[in-house]
Amino acid sequence: MKKLLLGTTAVGLLALAPLANANTTIELQRFFGACEAEYGKVTDVSAAVGECGIITALVNKFEADNPDIDVNVTTVEWPGYDQLNAQLASRSAPDVVSMHYSAMSDYQSRGLLVPLDKLLKDQNIKPSDFTNAAISSVTKEGKIYALPFDNWTMLFHVNNNLMKKADLMKSNGKPVLPSSSDELFAQGKQFKDATGKPYLVQITANETAAYARIFYTLMMQQNSKFFADPSRIDLSGKDAKAALTLMKDIMDKGLSTKNMDYPAAVAGFANGQGGIAVNGTWLIGSYDAQSKQADNPLSDGYSVFPVPQFFKQKDATYADGHGWVVPRGNRDEEKMAAIGKLFKFLYDNDYEWARTGHLPTVKAVIDSDEFKSLPHRSDIAKVAKTGQALPAQVLRQFAIQDILGEELGSAISGNKSIDDALETAQYRINDLLENI
Amino acid sequence: MAESYRRSRWSNGLFVVPYLSVFLTLLVFPLGWGIWLSLNKVDLFGGERFIGLKNYARVLSDPIFGQAVKNTVIFVGVSVPTLVVLGLFLALALNKTTKGSSFLRGVFFASSILSVTIVTLIWRIVFIPNDGLMALIFEYFGWQPIGFLSTTGWSLFSVGVATVWWCIGLPMMLFLAALQQIPKDLYEAAALDNTSRWRVLTRITLPSIKSTIMLVAIIQVVMQFQLFGQAQLMTNGGPAGSSRPIVMYIYEIGFLRWDIGMGAAASQILFLIILCAAMLQYWVSTRKEETDA
Repeated sequence: MKKLLLGTTAVGLLALAPLANANTTIELQRFFGACEAEYGKVTDVSAAVGECGIITALVNKFEADNPDIDVNVTTVEWPGYDQLNAQLASRSAPDVVSMHYSAMSDYQSRGLLVPLDKLLKDQNIKPSDFTNAAISSVTKEGKIYALPFDNWTMLFHVNNNLMKKADLMKSNGKPVLPSSSDELFAQGKQFKDATGKPYLVQITANETAAYARIFYTLMMQQNSKFFADPSRIDLSGKDAKAALTLMKDIMDKGLSTKNMDYPAAVAGFANGQGGIAVNGTWLIGSYDAQSKQADNPLSDGYSVFPVPQFFKQKDATYADGHGWVVPRGNRDEEKMAAIGKLFKFLYDNDYEWARTGHLPTVKAVIDSDEFKSLPHRSDIAKVAKTGQALPAQVLRQFAIQDILGEELGSAISGNKSIDDALETAQYRINDLLENI
Repeated sequence: MAESYRRSRWSNGLFVVPYLSVFLTLLVFPLGWGIWLSLNKVDLFGGERFIGLKNYARVLSDPIFGQAVKNTVIFVGVSVPTLVVLGLFLALALNKTTKGSSFLRGVFFASSILSVTIVTLIWRIVFIPNDGLMALIFEYFGWQPIGFLSTTGWSLFSVGVATVWWCIGLPMMLFLAALQQIPKDLYEAAALDNTSRWRVLTRITLPSIKSTIMLVAIIQVVMQFQLFGQAQLMTNGGPAGSSRPIVMYIYEIGFLRWDIGMGAAASQILFLIILCAAMLQYWVSTRKEETDA
């Protein structure tokens, strides 16, 4: 009996031995898509392309460099905040989460994020290492709540090959782009007449974000103070009507693709179904890689520019960014140190992430020759100055975006009048903000 | 033996404790808590403040909720009769003992085992513009393409088609089980009387399975009022909210706007709607039975 007991104890201890030496595991939850089949084993980050490819390779490389740390990645459908909310409510949030700067105030104001000042300081990362736009976006009440990873905005991705057909190329090899709404309609008609294809490739189905981002841009270009009071939106002015009228006219005049959801719009531009894709910085790397391959609609014919200035008042474009946050939860020092190492690694590799097309947040990367030598960056450099976010005090920006996008879409598709859509959007958004 | 059988002891009640504890924990407590939340101003992360029936007033005065109720009622009103009639038709057609009908039963039931994600992916490929199956068919015939997922009216229809395809297996199986319970001699007697097939259907088959028809209808009413995944993944409730069902409204209020109190109030209203619809269905069926008797 004694032998049996001793034997059982020995086996039990042996079974527990691996646990004693177990690696520290970081639960990382992110959007940016899933591409395990293509990049699941890739550790050469420079070989990866696109948001999903690069972040997957970055995590693989980090794990390879740090054999004592495991990173369990959970990919959520964009933007994934409903899932995070449920996890936070049930106190089972992951250790590291990708988050838009525009969503951070919601969580920080409820004490759901861990301040990262000490964690970053321990890794010798200084706030002054980041661009002012990035660090101010993640600083709330004097504390840093995220590792700023990028800034992004919507852009005009141009198919030069189709623009050439429409005689819309300059002698310097760059496309002719509009500098007013009149020019937009004239050039759009010229393009359509010459190619038989729509001038713009827009996301108009099953998504609300694209409508809202372009609307914000058009409002900002009119220097509109539609969130002068962060707890109320004002869409009753001429500015809102002018912005929505322009968006509707583009559709009514047949200058845009119709009924395309996000994946269809991304593929549609790649397949040459229209001249200019109105989409984000994150596609630059993928479209540029496609343009370097032979025999496809973008071969040797891709360029990208900021959304043109359609209103005289101000050269502005709506911008946001991605950061990495640590939700509240019980974590020991060892785990926080591992998260610190991961953040330092991501900080050190901000250039690799910038290859997606996003604007880097680390000043040294922006000033580096390797970043400056990336294609198209000089064409979009001015968005660093013209990029503008909604006031940080505006809460529930994603819910607002959904409401606004839905109502704008209703007007653009003709289901509601412009006045009715703006009035309803204002009522719904203010009802939301009044009841937080 | 007989005496102990008749004797009632309080300790006998212990036999139902396991079930009761699960029932109370997983059904009664959440229901009560949901009602309590609906009377409070509360978000996902706490901050409860009792506000009485204000959440109900906000929900009932919200035009988006009204639109969601209308969408859901239309959806249930069209999809449930379709599921009942189509399920019955398939069951009648496949109520044979041949290998072919066994195979086809499997084929028609196969869609039911898929998750909503797979179902919506399949139907997205059918309905998506440009490269979708319907777009290719329309292009082949030279017809003007329809934005099935992005046009008011068509979006709810498309969600309905995917739902019927997904849910048809259960009604068919329930009807098949009921059809196989009908005594064969009834059909033999009808055959001896040279009764027409229509008369056999309306006088023997349908009256024999009317309780199953009612069961299928009630199950489907309850299920289809809870439409969510298909609408969220195929159309995101759009365009202009024309395919937003009540559950999606609740989800948006609760998880995107964090307003759990208002979401809970909308949930209680949905609960009442489903209860009323199921009771009405039951009342109509039993009333007809009494009239027949």
